[in-house]
Amino acid sequence: MRRPRTLAAVALALCLALAGCGGGGGSATAAGGKVTLRFTWWGNADRAARTEKAVAAFEKAHPDIDIQTSYSTYESYKQKLATQAAGGDVPDLIQLDYRQISQYAGSEVLLDLGTQRKTLPTKEMDSGLLKTGQVDGVQYALPMGVGTQAMAYDKEAWKKAGLHTPKAGWTWDDWAEALRRLKAAGYERPMTDPGSMEDWFEVWLRGQGKRLYGTDGQAAFRAADLARFWSFTSKLRKEGLVSRAEDTTQMAGSVEDSPMGRKRAVAEFNWDAPSAGYEALYGDRLALAPMPAGPDGTPGQYYKPSMLLGIAADSAHPREAARFIDFLLNSDQAADILGVDRGTPVNGRQRTRVLPAVTGFQQQVAGLQESLQGKLKDPPAAPPRGDNGLQSTFQRDYDQVSFEQAAPREVAEDFLTEARTELRP
Amino acid sequence: MDRAAVPLPRQRTAPTGQARKRRPKREREGAAWVFLSPWVLGAAVLTLLPMAVSLYLSFTDYDLFDPPSWVGLRNYTQMFTEDPRLLRSVLNTLLYVVVAVPLQLALALAVAVALKSMKRGKGFYRSAFYAPSLLGASMSIALVWRALFNDGGTVDNLLGSLGIHTGGWVNRPGWALLSVALLTVWQFGAPMVIFLAGLQQIPKELYEAASVDGAGRWRQFLSITLPMLSPVLFFNLVLQTIQAFQVFTPAFAVSGGRGGPADSTLFYTLYLYDRGFTASHMGYASAMAWVLLIAIAIVTAVLFRTSRSWVFYANEEGR
Repeated sequence: MRRPRTLAAVALALCLALAGCGGGGGSATAAGGKVTLRFTWWGNADRAARTEKAVAAFEKAHPDIDIQTSYSTYESYKQKLATQAAGGDVPDLIQLDYRQISQYAGSEVLLDLGTQRKTLPTKEMDSGLLKTGQVDGVQYALPMGVGTQAMAYDKEAWKKAGLHTPKAGWTWDDWAEALRRLKAAGYERPMTDPGSMEDWFEVWLRGQGKRLYGTDGQAAFRAADLARFWSFTSKLRKEGLVSRAEDTTQMAGSVEDSPMGRKRAVAEFNWDAPSAGYEALYGDRLALAPMPAGPDGTPGQYYKPSMLLGIAADSAHPREAARFIDFLLNSDQAADILGVDRGTPVNGRQRTRVLPAVTGFQQQVAGLQESLQGKLKDPPAAPPRGDNGLQSTFQRDYDQVSFEQAAPREVAEDFLTEARTELRP
Repeated sequence: MDRAAVPLPRQRTAPTGQARKRRPKREREGAAWVFLSPWVLGAAVLTLLPMAVSLYLSFTDYDLFDPPSWVGLRNYTQMFTEDPRLLRSVLNTLLYVVVAVPLQLALALAVAVALKSMKRGKGFYRSAFYAPSLLGASMSIALVWRALFNDGGTVDNLLGSLGIHTGGWVNRPGWALLSVALLTVWQFGAPMVIFLAGLQQIPKELYEAASVDGAGRWRQFLSITLPMLSPVLFFNLVLQTIQAFQVFTPAFAVSGGRGGPADSTLFYTLYLYDRGFTASHMGYASAMAWVLLIAIAIVTAVLFRTSRSWVFYANEEGR
């Protein structure tokens, strides 16, 4: 009789030990009746410092709520969150990218924020931008900031080549002509090849009145469109105007991997806020310009929510979570702490308060956004599920083109074939 | 794999003699299970259960969000019939195994032979050559490697000063795989140590007899060292081949996680990771993992089969 009981006791102890290891930080309510919320995001150390400060201010104003934070880099964040979602252990407050919205909303991971309308007013927010957090008309997340595509460039080089400052409405042809002038002025391969990034293809496409994805969640362009874009960039590469294949292929999302970040080019397309990364290299010479537009001046770039904030559908305290989002997005206090770190504020009142106060490179961002005010078309609907993987497919496929292993047309068709199987509307 | 059989201790009688009553067998078994339970639990929860789940997932379509849906053998048929990138990853992996493993073993053996006849500083060199094996699997070394072989990196500059302009290795389709292979070759320390141990086992008399017969060093190496070392060589070959099939970290770091440029370092495991974590096809990735397991088993079995004709075990000859 003794044996089974001993065994059971040992097994129980081990199970408890195992469960203890796995369950850390999972409890919803802490001691003392305090509500505990978990909040995760991705970003760098600067954003972490600002976010922690905002969290501390919120906790001071709401002593009954305790916010546990954690953050990591984007790539690992994406994978961790997906795994948490699969295991049913999503944090209460989740920062999401535009490209993740469909995935998470469609899987019933996110709470319908309409249920928290009283706690979380949105009337000060730009209605076009609010739409970016909606899927099938339901508001699943709120944008935290606004960014847009831009061309970061070295002012000195532009001046030496005798070029005008690029203004909204300059076309892709003007852009190619500027590159020729820069080359003539002694800047060999002045620009990073934009052919490897789906983002820039999208801007090019929109400039012609087309778009990346249709309402059915499938690719809305044709192989001929993509082939034309790739032939265009390839021609520039052969002319010696954009970076070599060996340099383009090394880009992995950070400024340090990119030709301009390695001082091999004097201009590069990037999103406005992350372009701050060039500042260390170029200082005051760094400037931001609008993206080139279509042949008739149709702008392809758009205001994109830099990131969005949502609440887990199975959060035990949705009202407290909504209060926190309200604080982050609508309060003066949080706006002053966060600045334009997550892009310019979505709340109109906060935007007019914060923008004039920024300094340094952030002024460039503010200036660019101001110069584009009212000129851009509505942002596209959130990309469909499966788009995340396609971004890397796009880059990989372009390798085939730039290393001249296959013709643009052939690769474009391969890309669309893969897109059809990967996109899950 | 290890043929050295550990002699089992003989059944002991109770040390205190007959004074103590023998416990019933069942109770002793129970104690064994209690002591084994940490391992059994670990193996069950952390190895067998995940394996079973992965086998189940390999017959489903699973994107981490929606519940897995059963698709039967579709993942497997898709792998073999309609995935050109999978074929590419298989070819890359085979090429890598064929290039890296023989180079690594040859280097390990050469250094081991050189170290064996060294009189002084043996310990220092042994540790110095072994160190990369300890460090090499880490992400940081792979990143350093990327920097070394990059355009404008140390290797490029050194070759450049000799008049050979490569323009970087890791960013060229034809060269990137070679730079990853070199990283593996560089970590020859582990097989080297095993070779050294093997070399020490070869009786000196054999060499003495051979030199009396007038055999040169090369002749001695071919006729004594290699045959006597063949079991160790075989052991290293099997181990390194299995490892090479599963190479991941260096390729992941060197290619920025994409298997680039132009899929030239897209190894099987990298593609598996890509399918599972980037494209969220967990079912497909699981199927790939099982195919890899079976493929490694087959390759190992083939190696064991061929070993009969070239591996020489001294005790087989009834010494």
